[in-house]
Amino acid sequence: MPQYLEMTADKFTFRVATDRLYTAQGVWILPEPGSTRVRVGLADYLQQHNGDVAFANVKPVGTKLAAGNQFAEIETIKAMVDLHAPVGGTIVEVNGALDTAPEAINQAPYEAGWLALIEPAAWDADRSKLLGPAAYFPVMQAQVQEELKNL
Amino acid sequence: MNPCKEVVVVVPCSGIGKPFGTVSREAAYDLCEELRPESTRLVAMAKLVLGEPGARDLVAKHPAVTIDGCKQMCAAKMVKQSGGKVAHEVAVLDVFRRHKELKPEGIAELNEGGRKLARVLAEEVAESLNATGPPVKGASHV
Repeated sequence: MPQYLEMTADKFTFRVATDRLYTAQGVWILPEPGSTRVRVGLADYLQQHNGDVAFANVKPVGTKLAAGNQFAEIETIKAMVDLHAPVGGTIVEVNGALDTAPEAINQAPYEAGWLALIEPAAWDADRSKLLGPAAYFPVMQAQVQEELKNL
Repeated sequence: MNPCKEVVVVVPCSGIGKPFGTVSREAAYDLCEELRPESTRLVAMAKLVLGEPGARDLVAKHPAVTIDGCKQMCAAKMVKQSGGKVAHEVAVLDVFRRHKELKPEGIAELNEGGRKLARVLAEEVAESLNATGPPVKGASHV
């Protein structure tokens, strides 16, 4: 079980798992133990910000991605959310459980709600552009504060 | 003829400002005003929040069907908090997942997809009320 950094705003608590990396958009990247592959999913704030997930469409296994390419599309009760690949590489596995239970993204964003497993093409280079949890946390805090201002 | 013998109260959520909340209320209107007017009583969730005696009395006396726009399930929680029994919890999102083509948009006025989704939901609930009365808690969701 990962440890978390947490912030509370109004009635909402947002968690950042400390065992993985992030993009500023709110996609997490978790290197698989004993493997060259990385697992990716939505950070807690990103899933809460967009609300209940109705459908999760991840590009199929075998799809080759450059970092920044769209790799998934999430339809929620509020919006269609395009998700961009945090690393370049090839999708080697998709979370098929999301076909029937996309709510896992909301219920367990850092665990059962993962989206895809990617074999990175240039992990060392892409890794240097990602944020550690301590760096992502203030980015998320700023996004939350900005959202609160707009309420 | 309505074969449902027992009166049920129908409580939609008050998800103001969101299309899925509007679908829940439109579905409740369809159900209570057109499909099962004899056997349903519509109760506004806001009245339960305020503790309005008439609404609380209805919820206390009759099983409830709750229709929630999102998985916060506010209507279901409010019925339980008011001392009522939820016989059937419906989430608009679950129905939408089975009818992806009926994407609800609009808030004050739903688009055609939202109207159809509300109707489908209302018809499914009406069907579930047939013959045997309200389904027991724990029955499969609509």
